[in-house]
Amino acid sequence: MKLKVFITVFLLLITFTATYYFWPSEKIDFNSQVKPILNNKCIACHGGVKREANFSLLFRQEALAIAESGKKAIVPGDPNHSELVRRIMESDPEERMPYKEEPLSKEEIKILTQWIEEGAEWGDHWAYLKVENPEIPKASSWARNEVDHFVEEKWEQQNLTPSPEAEKATLLRRVCLDLIGLPPAKQNAKLFLGNTDDSTYERLVDSLLASPHFGERWASVWMDLARYADTKGYERDDSRSIWRYRDWLIRAFNKDMPYDQFITEQLAGDLFPNPSDAQYIATAFHRNTMTNDEGGTDNEEFRIAAVLDRVNTTWEAMMGTTFACVQCHSHPYDPFRHEEYYKFMAFFNNTRDEDTEAEYPLLRHFDKSDSAELALLTKWIDKNISSEKASEVNLFVKTWQPAINLIQADQFTNSELSDSKWLIFRNHALCRLQNVDLEKKNQLIYRWLSWKPNGKWTIHLDQPNGPILKIIDVKSTNGNWAISALDFPTAKGVHDLYFTYTNPHLKTPEDNGMMLDWFHFTTSGLEKDKNQYAKFWTLLNKEVQTTPITVENPQSMHRVTQVFERGNWLVKTDTVQPEVPQSLNPFPKEAPKNRLGLAQWMTSKENPLVARTIVNRVWEQIFGAGLAETLEDLGTQGIPPTHKELIDHLSWKLMNEYQWSLKKLMKEIVMSATYRQDSKITPDHLAKDPFNKLYARASRVRLSAEQVRDQALSVSGLLSNKMYGPSVMPFQPDGIWQSPWNGQTWTKSKSEDQYRRAVYTYWKRSSPYPSIMTFDGATREVCTARRIRTNTPLQALVTLNDSVYVEAAHRLALNMQQKSKEVQQQIAIGYEQAIGQPITSEKLAVLEKLYHQALTEYQRSNQKLVSYHKQHDQQLPQTKALALVASAILNLDEFVTKN
Amino acid sequence: MKEGQRQKINQAEYLQNLENITRRHFLWESASGLGALALGSLFGSCSPLDRKPDSFLSTNPLAVKPPHFIPKAKSVIYLHMAGAPSQLEMFDFKPDLQKLDGQDCPASLLDGKKFAFIRGVPKMLGPQASFQQYGESRAWVSEHLPHFSTAVDEVTFLKAVQTDQFNHGPAQLLMHTGSARLGRPSMGAWVTYGLGSENQNLPGFVVLTSGGKNPDAGKSVWGSGFLPSVYQGVQCRSEGDPVLFLKDPKDVDRNLRKASIDAINEINHLNYQKSGDPEILSRMAQYEMAFKMQISVPEVMDIHDEPQYIHDMYGTKPGRASLANNILLARKLVEKGVRFVQVFDWGWDSHGTDSDLAIDIGHINKCRSVDKAMTALIFDLKQRGLLEETLVVWGGEFGRTPMQENREGKKNPFKGRDHHTEAFTMWMAGGGIKKGFTHGETDAIGYSSISGKVTPYDVQATILHQLGFDHEKLTYQFQGRPFRLTDVAGKVIHEVIG
Repeated sequence: MKLKVFITVFLLLITFTATYYFWPSEKIDFNSQVKPILNNKCIACHGGVKREANFSLLFRQEALAIAESGKKAIVPGDPNHSELVRRIMESDPEERMPYKEEPLSKEEIKILTQWIEEGAEWGDHWAYLKVENPEIPKASSWARNEVDHFVEEKWEQQNLTPSPEAEKATLLRRVCLDLIGLPPAKQNAKLFLGNTDDSTYERLVDSLLASPHFGERWASVWMDLARYADTKGYERDDSRSIWRYRDWLIRAFNKDMPYDQFITEQLAGDLFPNPSDAQYIATAFHRNTMTNDEGGTDNEEFRIAAVLDRVNTTWEAMMGTTFACVQCHSHPYDPFRHEEYYKFMAFFNNTRDEDTEAEYPLLRHFDKSDSAELALLTKWIDKNISSEKASEVNLFVKTWQPAINLIQADQFTNSELSDSKWLIFRNHALCRLQNVDLEKKNQLIYRWLSWKPNGKWTIHLDQPNGPILKIIDVKSTNGNWAISALDFPTAKGVHDLYFTYTNPHLKTPEDNGMMLDWFHFTTSGLEKDKNQYAKFWTLLNKEVQTTPITVENPQSMHRVTQVFERGNWLVKTDTVQPEVPQSLNPFPKEAPKNRLGLAQWMTSKENPLVARTIVNRVWEQIFGAGLAETLEDLGTQGIPPTHKELIDHLSWKLMNEYQWSLKKLMKEIVMSATYRQDSKITPDHLAKDPFNKLYARASRVRLSAEQVRDQALSVSGLLSNKMYGPSVMPFQPDGIWQSPWNGQTWTKSKSEDQYRRAVYTYWKRSSPYPSIMTFDGATREVCTARRIRTNTPLQALVTLNDSVYVEAAHRLALNMQQKSKEVQQQIAIGYEQAIGQPITSEKLAVLEKLYHQALTEYQRSNQKLVSYHKQHDQQLPQTKALALVASAILNLDEFVTKN
Repeated sequence: MKEGQRQKINQAEYLQNLENITRRHFLWESASGLGALALGSLFGSCSPLDRKPDSFLSTNPLAVKPPHFIPKAKSVIYLHMAGAPSQLEMFDFKPDLQKLDGQDCPASLLDGKKFAFIRGVPKMLGPQASFQQYGESRAWVSEHLPHFSTAVDEVTFLKAVQTDQFNHGPAQLLMHTGSARLGRPSMGAWVTYGLGSENQNLPGFVVLTSGGKNPDAGKSVWGSGFLPSVYQGVQCRSEGDPVLFLKDPKDVDRNLRKASIDAINEINHLNYQKSGDPEILSRMAQYEMAFKMQISVPEVMDIHDEPQYIHDMYGTKPGRASLANNILLARKLVEKGVRFVQVFDWGWDSHGTDSDLAIDIGHINKCRSVDKAMTALIFDLKQRGLLEETLVVWGGEFGRTPMQENREGKKNPFKGRDHHTEAFTMWMAGGGIKKGFTHGETDAIGYSSISGKVTPYDVQATILHQLGFDHEKLTYQFQGRPFRLTDVAGKVIHEVIG
């Protein structure tokens, strides 16, 4: 009997055990099940930052290694011999992991155990895997295109159904704001509202995509990523002329430049063979970094700061990845190693810019005839000297590059980098220019100025009193900059140059004699044709406008890139070569190891991040939130996407079907049934999906800062259509600009320039345009991947009281008066002009009441005015009352919101 | 999942409440006003620790939130002397430096060091002031601060503050944002994010500037960095609108402004009924707050009504933009429930390049311009019973060298000192800080800290601690990781806590 019971129990036990072990349970998925546990519970101590007990869970190879204890934490396939399993199940609090924290739950322990049992495979995070085209889910007849298939699929679980299509007027305003950032123009309204044909919507979309305003709207988005501003930043925050880059963006968006080309030109336009001016201007993307003009700063520190910013911005803006962490240590959660940051930095560490006050290299903009002259000169050199010399001279005339900047001088006696900006010689001056490559060079072209005649500047080789390369008699330029050339016997090799300077006219040791700006060492040869030589000098000295651009160092100026220990630029360790992180797609074999090759790597179809990042961003601009909400971080710590397959589908299409055309991508999105839904939020929506993550309705989104302004100007008829050109200064209250050591002032622009779109507003980093900032604009000091919308009383004060909006309301009122004599109609017209919908009787009654209340008050106060004042107060009480109504309309929620 | 559910519940409750509030009559018709409404308590349970910050709720970001533990201080007044005052002429008495006056600086102080402007071998510069000991704490104070000498028993001096940034912009950023680079939120923004705002009619974080210039680091020292912009400091000005765009246009009086906001909100409410979007209710509340701010801000920013003895005490003159006026305003603001007031005064950069920047001319004037008012602030807060709950912090972004500046290796036209990172003085008072105490000491010539060394991060950690925060836990998820004010550093200076 006993035996029978025993056998039964034994058999049962075996069955249970067998069931437990051999039941075909789902295989554990690393990304969705294991990685979250590791990230939340383990990796703070055993990851990229800290590696307690020399154990890290960041990479599989590290996790499987023998830890400090001499044991293996993870033995794939063998949980019983895995120290990790023992430690998470341990009851002794000194031994148990996570140390001094809540123990893991049974479920978590089971997942980790089973995962090790199954071989402890490391899965790759979705965003680091190559983009594949997912299977398109089935959909109902509601669907209009494939976007809808992916959206509808997610509704089943929540039992959601689509909202009806939005009213035509609502849809019209929505799609206009989304594509061109402006409310509907009259002709569009007429075309669309007056036509019941289903195809008119598509025609409307096509016409908006073709509108020149399209580029202005989307350039604004990119300018946050590019940290575009019209000033240099930091303390002095002086002006910088870089608006041609903004215009380049507008043009690029308007002509639908393929996105792969769009980012390639910005990262490496200067490395194309014979780059066009436009390609150079595109490289201003990475010259939007800040320049520090504060006296006493270390120029190398801020050059490095700019380079690091370029690395971080490239990742954040174009690859939706927070790379900045890796500057100090391996990424705590994502598969990027510390040294990989510096390998990536090596791509960017060899540009010619060096935190100089002048912000060299600058592209010098010649007018048409001078450009033609330069082309002829280049051609002549090509034919008569050599093609190498031709391209060298062409680059030099266009950019004054390559040149050694004054800030490279050191070892000063009676000489100084004054205010860290200017190289000054006093009497008996001495300084050094280190490591100058003179191989086969026999000419120096340099930029200088002097205050006193009869100076003597001597260039010695290798020692302060070493062999003399050249003695120069320095005349006075009366403090004006000049460019000159001097010849010396053809030299060999790399030398330190020592400069000495004396001048009998300098009476005191404090008097300044001369200043130097840059040094271009070259070979002579142009002199042999007097005409050409004269042309060269004329062009070189031409006073022209400029734009900061990127120019690569020639081999002789090559910088070595080293790893900074814990991110500290003063502690340099291993030397590294340009390379991309191993965990992503391999660097294309045939690609050069420079920024151009880097761009090829990024725009390769193998790159998992670039297409997904832009798809997610375009979606966010249209729906108010990204499919993955954290635009700046698609990595494991970002918020997981709501519709991963949709991101992948659109990304695949962007690369493979649309040949990187953003207009086609946008068209697909706005043509979808998802996009065309009504935005009404039902109680059912609010209960099931309060934040509209599943898109069973359209999202209501407050307009961007730029759109708020542009729309008010547009509906009141004030908006100027003028495109391009230097940034403008619309009305701004006094006393906003107070930068130290900076005499620049906000000078209100004249005539129509006051009423340009916000994309043209002058952007001062330390003191940005106030109303833009109130509506969540970015300061653009660093890359801003997304703006977070807020809703504050200060926003109300802007649209109620900022002169820009007061004027817009007044204009709108005059417009209303012009179109009708009758108050009710005037109000109805004003409302419709602003909101794009006919007014309801209820709303009309509210505004009418406001009108009459205001009118009564204005009439009463008008009677009190003596005739003198009456003459000077030209506005009729009726106009003032109507202006108050117009202001109310411009403040309605439905006006500042995309419905 | 749990978080999501709670957000949903909160959201539903919040909507119901907002609806009730805004349904029929608008807020200013109720005597208590919005400040008294339970708006704050709606999200009261969400401390910054358990909110999921990436899903930022724009509906009421300034709701009052509890800190991590019971705070000593409710508000902070931070007086920043931009340009960096000279500790050697104010608080750090170094008689031995006098003996070295005019001698060459020893090489040991220069080897391996970098200065902003000093080149070659500078001369030592003795203190340009005489010092005496005051109060029971026997604290040394210079002759340039006759008023402040009476307040030493209320304050704690930090004599050995050390920074690693020797340029103004980066050093100011480090002091206020915990990073020498741009892009991080300022201390006031962190505090407003963590605590919300007590007075819904005034901004939670106010900035006042004097000296005719903004700080070198620009508005970033009161910026919100990656936090939502609602947390940035609001600059209140003594000339023009006290807050930008506060004043109604000339044809709009209070009645008409009320009528127009009434009309706007009535229509907004109609739209809410149609569209069901809670954001509309929130916007209606913002318009009502704006209306109230139009009254409450000019009121609090007007010092005309202060009694004469207060003006005498602070040395204030109504209608002028001055540091003294701003210090008095700071008191008024914290009295009204503003959490964080930052006062910046420009012009303390005494290099000796001209007479305004001479250590024995301009710097003395700067001392005089702050002496009376900062002293009055301490005593005024005390007599109002506010000192215990108001933390007053005073300092610059770094200190000044014991050497005389020799810019470009030449003698400067006036006596001046270069930027100095290794040791400088700050002081704190009120808000649970020790009275009549000195923490930290410098060497015989005030060159380096020899004990009680603290960093800007430590000062930040201490300020947050007094406000009830664990500085390591007041975080915001950004770029895939939690960020905090003190970055990866900072220790609370427990020695100075009373």
